[in-house]
Amino acid sequence: MPSPEDQPEPRRRGFGQLAFFAALALGSGLLLWRRDGLPAIEAGIDASLSLVLAVAPVILGAMVVAGYAKALLPRALIARWLGAESGLKGLLLAMAVGMVTPGGPFASFALVVGLAGTGADIGACITYLTAWSVIGLHRLIMWEVPLLGVDLALLRFGACLILPLIAGIAARILVRRFGLQPLPTRIG
Amino acid sequence: MLISVVTVWTIALGLAGFALWRRPDAHRPALATGWSMLKPLMLRLPLAILAASFLSQLLPKAAVAQLLGAQSGLPGILLAAIIGGLFPGGPMVSFPIVIAVYQAGAGTPQIVALLTAWSVYAIHRVMAFELPMLGTRFVLFRLAVSLLLPVIAGILAGLLQDALGLPAMLDGGSFALPAPAGGQ
Repeated sequence: MPSPEDQPEPRRRGFGQLAFFAALALGSGLLLWRRDGLPAIEAGIDASLSLVLAVAPVILGAMVVAGYAKALLPRALIARWLGAESGLKGLLLAMAVGMVTPGGPFASFALVVGLAGTGADIGACITYLTAWSVIGLHRLIMWEVPLLGVDLALLRFGACLILPLIAGIAARILVRRFGLQPLPTRIG
Repeated sequence: MLISVVTVWTIALGLAGFALWRRPDAHRPALATGWSMLKPLMLRLPLAILAASFLSQLLPKAAVAQLLGAQSGLPGILLAAIIGGLFPGGPMVSFPIVIAVYQAGAGTPQIVALLTAWSVYAIHRVMAFELPMLGTRFVLFRLAVSLLLPVIAGILAGLLQDALGLPAMLDGGSFALPAPAGGQ
């Protein structure tokens, strides 16, 4: 039986996004042209070109990293690490695993769906998802450092480092005090 | 900028070297994955950056600075968290727009709150993946325990900034935007 992790990533709505950006660029370009004239448009194109050229080598490298990380770090291994520990140690492990999990949202959610069926701790699941989304290394390296600059990217990383633990502990407290059952019990 | 190029390619070559040594079968799927991730970006990212560059010139700088500037304090952080939560799309949409807002005069703690809200609440991700895969109950539970995280991040960023003696406005990366033309 194929587990949810083995299924291919569903096709993103690639065309819709492309159309969205094209429309956004066209619309804002027209507005800017009407307000500030052609020099503003030229300045905008210049700035964009230099940014695209600057981030291209980073993004190219990041794709190689993401590809190898996905090929070398099988989901089954990540899932085993996640279910392995409880207590604060379990949360710290979930946080570390979330930080290094490469790839898009589908893979990470699929992992949580798989975990839910094995009776995993809700705190670890929440900590994992929060770590993956706010302090994921792939995002830091791929997007934040090139686009935000090292200082801002690292400051944000530092300020967010504790968030996955806060969320995980809050989740455990809520479940314990109110007997909530937020995880789907059946495996899809 | 150079530092991220070097970091990324060091990691990339390190991983490729490891694969060469221990897992030669991994090269092909790794490069295939990388290519499939890169392909959609090749048109989308330049367009997104262009749109952001125009938008940043259109943004009313005075209003941004007043609402989200460093001196806007906790209300500014709260507002930034709400705005970040409503941001559509993945990183390639949002980062250039976030930079436009930063360049228009938003404060650093406010920008951190905005970025964090966008990654924690992630409306686009909730709709496309989380709701169908994990269900409404889980989504609401996760959002409930995450509700205050962006505000906490904003406050911590301000404290860190003071403690480290960083300037109010950090280096905005390579996204050097043109000064508003404003008829000059």
